[in-house]
Amino acid sequence: MKSTLGRGAAAGLGAAILALTAACSSGGGFGGSSSTSGSGGSDSGPLNVLIGSSGAAETSAVQAAAAAFAKQSGIKVNVVAAQNLQQQVSQGFAAGQPADVFYLDTSSFQNYAKTGALYAYADKASDPGDFYPTLKQSFSYDGKFYCVPKDWSTLGLAINTADWSAAGLTPADVPTNWDQLEAVAKKLTTGGRVGLTIASDHAGIDEFIYQNGGSLLSADKKTASFDSPQNVAALNYVKKLLSDGVLKFPSALNAGWNGEAFGKNAAAMTIVGNWIDGAMKSDYPNVKYQVYPLPAGPSGTKATLSFTNCWGIPAKSSHKDAAVKLVDFLASGTQQMAFAKAFGVMPSRESVKDQWTAAFPADAAFLAGAAYAQPDLALAGGTQTISDYDSKLAQLATADPAALLSAEQKNFQAVIQQNQ
Amino acid sequence: MTTATGTPAAARAAKRPAPRRPRGGIRGHEAAAGWLFTAPVLVLLALFLVLPILMAAWVSVSDWTGQGNPFSGGAHFVGAKNFSSLLTRDGLARQDLMTSLRNNFYYVLLVVPLQTALALFLAIVLNRRRLAGRGFFRTAYYFPSVTSSVAISIVFLFMFSGGGVVNALISSAGGTGPNWFADPDGLIHILLDKLGVHSAPAALANHGLLGQSWWDWLAGPSVAMTALIVLAVWTTSGTFMLMFLAALQNIPAEVEEAALIDGASAWQRTRLVVLPMLRPTLFLVLTLGLIGTWQVFDQVYIISQGNPAKTTLTPAYLSYTTSFNDQQWGQGAAIAFILFAIIVALTALQRFVLRERKADAG
Amino acid sequence: MTLTERTARARKPYRPGQLSPRARAASYAALLLFALIYIFPFLIELGSSFKTDADATNHPLNPLPQHWTLAAFHQLGQQDFPLWFANSAFVAVSVTAGRILFDSMAGYALARLRFRGRGAVFSAVIAVMAVPSVVLMIPKFLVLNEFGIYNTYSGMIIPLIADAAGVFIMKQFFESIPGSVEEAARIDGAGVLRTFWSVVLPMARPALITLTVLSFQGSWNELSHFIVSRQSPQLNTLTSGVATLVSGQLGKGNQYPLKLSAALLMTIPVALVFFFFQRHIMRGTEGAVKE
Repeated sequence: MKSTLGRGAAAGLGAAILALTAACSSGGGFGGSSSTSGSGGSDSGPLNVLIGSSGAAETSAVQAAAAAFAKQSGIKVNVVAAQNLQQQVSQGFAAGQPADVFYLDTSSFQNYAKTGALYAYADKASDPGDFYPTLKQSFSYDGKFYCVPKDWSTLGLAINTADWSAAGLTPADVPTNWDQLEAVAKKLTTGGRVGLTIASDHAGIDEFIYQNGGSLLSADKKTASFDSPQNVAALNYVKKLLSDGVLKFPSALNAGWNGEAFGKNAAAMTIVGNWIDGAMKSDYPNVKYQVYPLPAGPSGTKATLSFTNCWGIPAKSSHKDAAVKLVDFLASGTQQMAFAKAFGVMPSRESVKDQWTAAFPADAAFLAGAAYAQPDLALAGGTQTISDYDSKLAQLATADPAALLSAEQKNFQAVIQQNQ
Repeated sequence: MTTATGTPAAARAAKRPAPRRPRGGIRGHEAAAGWLFTAPVLVLLALFLVLPILMAAWVSVSDWTGQGNPFSGGAHFVGAKNFSSLLTRDGLARQDLMTSLRNNFYYVLLVVPLQTALALFLAIVLNRRRLAGRGFFRTAYYFPSVTSSVAISIVFLFMFSGGGVVNALISSAGGTGPNWFADPDGLIHILLDKLGVHSAPAALANHGLLGQSWWDWLAGPSVAMTALIVLAVWTTSGTFMLMFLAALQNIPAEVEEAALIDGASAWQRTRLVVLPMLRPTLFLVLTLGLIGTWQVFDQVYIISQGNPAKTTLTPAYLSYTTSFNDQQWGQGAAIAFILFAIIVALTALQRFVLRERKADAG
Repeated sequence: MTLTERTARARKPYRPGQLSPRARAASYAALLLFALIYIFPFLIELGSSFKTDADATNHPLNPLPQHWTLAAFHQLGQQDFPLWFANSAFVAVSVTAGRILFDSMAGYALARLRFRGRGAVFSAVIAVMAVPSVVLMIPKFLVLNEFGIYNTYSGMIIPLIADAAGVFIMKQFFESIPGSVEEAARIDGAGVLRTFWSVVLPMARPALITLTVLSFQGSWNELSHFIVSRQSPQLNTLTSGVATLVSGQLGKGNQYPLKLSAALLMTIPVALVFFFFQRHIMRGTEGAVKE
């Protein structure tokens, strides 16, 4: 009967639409393949690598390294640059399809290590004793060294040499303590330019706390000491610089980050990490600057912050052995030197220290901080708390440091409590 | 539409007795066809609206850590723990939720009346007979509603940047504009500051509700939030203007003329005749406005991510970051349900407040 | 002149809608001012796309570039912008096709076909319209995960086809057309599907056009669904891809022309669809236009 045929046609059309979209479901599309894990043999990959790239230079460097590894080992590697690394790693785990190897920052490391999501392979990797102790500490949880640090950066004091000489200052005037820093910043604050700018979050301010002999979390992450008098004094110093107008945060200078303010000469000095080199070269090539070690605190304590990522491998991965082989290749001294040349990071292995300093003499100040670098703030289950700390620090100019730190002490104590 | 008289079909219809008497054949097919026709929509709504809600309900009372299937053995029932840490237990989770609720409350408080009033005003002015360029104006006012929130957010990021268009306009008028998206000061605090109240009075600062001091609750929208408010009003007033225009066009001219003959002035006509007849549309616009403004997410995601100082944090964005960035899926789902409850409650409240009272109906 | 004539002349010949010249001038001034406010951001967007970075930062107020340049557009081509455009187009067309088919079927069934449970189905559709979409963000991710269509085109397209508002629009339209032509077709022996497909659907042109425009617009401009339903860069649509341009990377500077040109290009298709069909949209929401 006509209607049966007609009905069938309609059902067929509807089914066709669904089928069409389903047919495109297996990760295909207009571009290349998406990052679905292969189901090949356990050691032949292919491996999916998810990175949080700082730019085109880093992405192509990692891709080149992966290609070299593939040629040497026969294991295929697929490198994907994430747009939002944290979100994508999280979605990968939730979907049961995490990438085989991914960048993992110190904060997320704590969260994933706590829930048992990571494979603790670092002690079985090649030459684990070669890594800087502070980096090993950042990626150890419950006494186990989990993942291999891929590189690292520290903070240094970058000074615009043109502004420096225009203010009549000489290399002898480079500040080595807080008072000198304040004086120099005052001298350099003229016209539309401010003397110093720093990032407005914990990654830009915590070094002052350590320089004053304070501390935030114990090494075993079981005690918090945010509201100690040394910490309060350190924040009061930063607040004084802000109220004197010799220090401004990037948002007050209409810049997205402190490197941009420095490059546009809205600030004559900035406390920043190794990543300033790549940014200055590509965006502000005409600015001449020099990097020096950070000033020490009032009692002579030197401190800087270390920032690092590791190569994370999921505990439930079906390509664990191949992944470890890839990590060994990418974290080798030679490969790390190649990365350093491509996008300006410092190798995480002490054995290539001299090689690096010879290749990058202008950045020696960053590596000089290796002896006294403190790990970046990280606590399992503490991501929200840390970002709350950041948003409070951004308002330091109008806040009361003692109240700020005691509120943070309460919050972090609560998280530590939950972790017991 | 041509009538059927004189065609063979009509002749047949005339001969056949009572064609509307239910006959098993056509009616049976009709029922089956009815279900078949609605089936795709029903299946999709069940799969992608009902099922997600049920799943989220389970996750919000479990401790799922974000790995694997939440229905597998891995996730355990923890009762109302997620809800209590958001609503009753003193801590960062509750603080953040209350901050986001406060921010969204001020956003709603300003956006809904402004966009409704602006839409109504434009619709009334555009409703004049013999208006030159009506089509042009209608298009101009409606066009922002057509563009995506991403594109609009980019334009507003540019316009409200520290050295951007808006501040250039303000300085050409002799003032200095604030650094819009970096300024966390609440408008009420700024106003009080101008009136001489420079810091929180003890009574307001030391007492509070649900973890926030009264001084914090009364901060008003921050300057950054104000930029987002302008964005919202600019984007959505066009859609509501069209709705009001449609309703105005449906008011018969005789009603207005009758009012005229009775001697009513233009303002009286608007207030006593036009507005009451617009009541259903006003109702709809307010409801849609409430539902929309409590869900603001896209603009926060693109422009500010809750900054500065969490003054542009909204419950929808908080729910997203709690789940995807902080790996607290249970808490994120709980925030989503709390938001759902708020929207339902407010919509019901609005229906109650604006209902047709029998006494003054008609 | 008699008294009555003089009185009649003195009273202004007032017809509804006719204003005194001053009031009329004020109306036009207000309309023009608002039109300027509404359009100005788009002029800025258009002009700044053709500026250099420095020009955009230093002269934000002036929509005209000092030196016209296509640098921003070239940069866009180096990003994956064409891929994003293709993905957006594919997804938007698929979603629109799906919605047109399913919503018109469901709307017709709810308006015209008598079957038991019709009332319940309609109430369910209305109830579902009330659920705020943002509340569904995380749960939808969980469901897509379970069905295994996370990070695929299906996962991006199929959930968007579920659209209660479209069903409502079609149902309202079908209820408003007289049933005589359908009855005639039925009496001629056409089955339900035949009637629907060959007789009723062609009559539904205005509503279908409205539905097409709204569906295309909605799926082209959708953001939160594309954030939670995919993560692969190959599946980026314009909205999610451009959103990452804005969040930017460390060391990238302001780059306003790049972002504004992206915003401009992603607005053009939806603007074209709008202008082409605006008569239908305006008419659809206004009823009889009193011109």
